[in-house]
Amino acid sequence: MDRTRTRARAAPPRKMRIRAYERKPAAPPQLFSNAWERFLRPAVDAVHQSQPVPHSLELLYGHVHDIVLHRNAPALYDALRRACDRHIAARIAQLAALSPSSEHVFLAAVHAVWHTYCTHMLRIRQIFLYLDRTYIVHAAQPDARSFWDMGLLLFRTHFSSVATVQQNTVHCLLTLIDRDRDGQTVDVALMKNLLLMFTAIGTYDAAFEKPFLASTDTYYRNESRTLVASQDVPTFLKHAESRIHAESHRAVRVLDPSTRNPLISTVEKRLVSDHVVTLLDNGFSSMCDQHRKHDLKRCFAVLSRASDHMPADSRAPNELMKSRLIDYVKNVGRAIVMDKSKDPEMVQSLLTLKARLDDLVNFSFDGTEAFNMAVNFAFESFVNARENKPAELIAKFVDSILRTGNKGFSEEQLETTLDNALTLFRFIDGKDVFEAFYNKDLAKRLLYDKSASLDLEKSMISKLKHECGPQFTAKLEAMFRDVDASKDLMQSFKTHKLSKTSLSHGIDLNVYVLESARWPLSTQPSKVKLPQSLMDCQEVFKKFYLTKHSGRKLAWQYVNGSCRVKANFPEGTKFLELSLYQTIVMLLFNDADELSYSEIADATGIEELPLKRTMLSLACGKARVLLKRPKGPQVDAKDSFVFNKKFTHRQTKLKINAIQIKETVEENAATTERVFQERNYQIDAAVVRIMKTRRTLQHAGLLAEVFDQLRFHHKPADVKKRIESLIEREYLERDENNPQAYHYLA
Amino acid sequence: MKLTINKVRLVAAWTWDAGDDACGICRNAFDGCCPDCNIPGDACPLVWGNCKHPFHLHCISKWIGAQSSEQQKCPMCRQDWKFEARK
Ligand SMILES: [Zn+2]
Ligand SMILES: [Zn+2]
Ligand SMILES: [Zn+2]
Repeated sequence: MDRTRTRARAAPPRKMRIRAYERKPAAPPQLFSNAWERFLRPAVDAVHQSQPVPHSLELLYGHVHDIVLHRNAPALYDALRRACDRHIAARIAQLAALSPSSEHVFLAAVHAVWHTYCTHMLRIRQIFLYLDRTYIVHAAQPDARSFWDMGLLLFRTHFSSVATVQQNTVHCLLTLIDRDRDGQTVDVALMKNLLLMFTAIGTYDAAFEKPFLASTDTYYRNESRTLVASQDVPTFLKHAESRIHAESHRAVRVLDPSTRNPLISTVEKRLVSDHVVTLLDNGFSSMCDQHRKHDLKRCFAVLSRASDHMPADSRAPNELMKSRLIDYVKNVGRAIVMDKSKDPEMVQSLLTLKARLDDLVNFSFDGTEAFNMAVNFAFESFVNARENKPAELIAKFVDSILRTGNKGFSEEQLETTLDNALTLFRFIDGKDVFEAFYNKDLAKRLLYDKSASLDLEKSMISKLKHECGPQFTAKLEAMFRDVDASKDLMQSFKTHKLSKTSLSHGIDLNVYVLESARWPLSTQPSKVKLPQSLMDCQEVFKKFYLTKHSGRKLAWQYVNGSCRVKANFPEGTKFLELSLYQTIVMLLFNDADELSYSEIADATGIEELPLKRTMLSLACGKARVLLKRPKGPQVDAKDSFVFNKKFTHRQTKLKINAIQIKETVEENAATTERVFQERNYQIDAAVVRIMKTRRTLQHAGLLAEVFDQLRFHHKPADVKKRIESLIEREYLERDENNPQAYHYLA
Repeated sequence: MKLTINKVRLVAAWTWDAGDDACGICRNAFDGCCPDCNIPGDACPLVWGNCKHPFHLHCISKWIGAQSSEQQKCPMCRQDWKFEARK
């Protein structure tokens, strides 16, 4: 005990000891064969037969010691090796004779041989410990291995060289693993022990891992081929995920740790990488459509893992998913945008879609920026697939939020809705269309006091300013200023002596004076004839205004005027909120009970379309202050109208002027027309700007430069028309010899 | 009287009273603004000379700013430029 410990601790001085032995005399000739045949060999045989050793260990140690001391170590080592060799050869031969048809039985037998062999070798080593420690460690013996290594080498030599035994063992293991994959119960501990054996004898990589990976490859190649065809995509992905998980688990439980990575990549390759395109083709858009967040998350996770094993000529799965997402969004979006019958719900549908996609990207695609950008890219593309209309509808949607009547929503909720609408606005190319409709709607909100909240209005303007720059909102902000300035102006008018005229008529006069270019107003003189009282009011105000602002002129916008009228019906007095047109019509009935359509048209000077609309509102709406003859839902030029003497209503104050707020077909057309005019103006300005610096340009060159400067979508034909117009107006001239070249005229 | 007006709100659009013409300096229409401005109206006012020729204030200011004080003439009629005094 003591001796052992000293030696173990003092490793380097060993060499000195060995040198000392060399001085010992040569052994007597009989010493080795006597000791081996009489004592040591029977001991080895007894161990191999799992019997007790016939002599005391102390005696056996002594013999080994003597043999080594007398320099017979090589002979002893050799004899011992041959004895072990014979033994293991016999045991392996027994295994070779065993049928591998029952895998568990065969593998258990192999394991039993291995396990017993290890036990024997440990016992033998104990007997020959002195030999192991001295002779074998001696560097001068190149092919001498430690006893344990020698044992492993012997086992390996026979196990591997008797071809069928190792082959059968591997085959049985692979069969069991496939069975395990098929869901049958197998002896995992047995497999683990056998694989440790392969590792111990150094044949794990070549004899086991290689065929194992090949059989894994085949197994999943076959499985995926069947399942991809028979299962729906979400089910298959779930399956793939659980397979990857199970194989990972197998790697930990059974296999050598080095096998994990090649195993998992084999599984991913065969189960996922091989089928990425098919999976996406069959399932991606339907998962998006059904908003299967969890399935898509799995899809993203599983397919992303496959990216390392994609064929060289294939795009990465993430790229493929991204472009599928773009395709999907474009399709869904285009269906919403292009279907004219769904225009009333377009914006709400787009907002819902956007919110849903944001949720998908965040949840299923890890909020990856590239996917966000893909969604935005798709929106941009489909929203602009239909010219102008989406921009118009977004503007109207915003109007509906800013207008009075959104009861039940907090200001905060309305703000959020505005932000969402702004997200859509961001995708629009034709921002000028949005601006024109926003401008028109804002004008109505301001002129008819229909704005829900000045704070909300201002917040929207600042959002737009932030988005498009101050130039975009300057006009809108100026509209608010015009309204404020008009209110101030009325304050000073009311203290002015001229205001007495309106007072003498008993009319509370208010005038909005608006800068014409900022408002969607007409500067054409109106043919509408005002009642005298209003005419008087208008004239005094004009006089007042021009004293304050010389060099200006006023164009009256009767279509936008409004009145409060006291109406004495026999059944009771009512206060009516009327449009100016309605007022002008109604006042005619002070001098008549019944008037024909044409009499009304002559007396008022109101054009046909607005007059018919006005008559309809007075005689065919909910509150009928006039009666139409004959009755009917439409106004005809042959109709006549009677003051409704039986008019009653539960309210004293009522509004009949809602028609002013509703957008008419003409207004819509005029708004669109304004956009086109503005665009023409922009084209003109761009052409002049370019020609002023370049002096002379070819047609194509000019077109290219104009294209760079314009921010809205335009056709070359439009630009060509504008160039013609500029030539007519003598800003440009065509080259005498080359009709494709233009010169700037200073 | 069946009906009497209690209250009225009239709407009027104002424009410069300078005809349908364009500014003789920048050639932009008077209902538009000068090339340096974005919104027409108060922000880019018109002015008249004693010769009754109107210009954008910004345009004529730049024009006469470029001339020596004796040579400040109306670019349209070449009379000496004087801002018309308006009430
Ligand atoms: Zn000018
Ligand atoms: Zn200006
Ligand atoms: Zn002049």
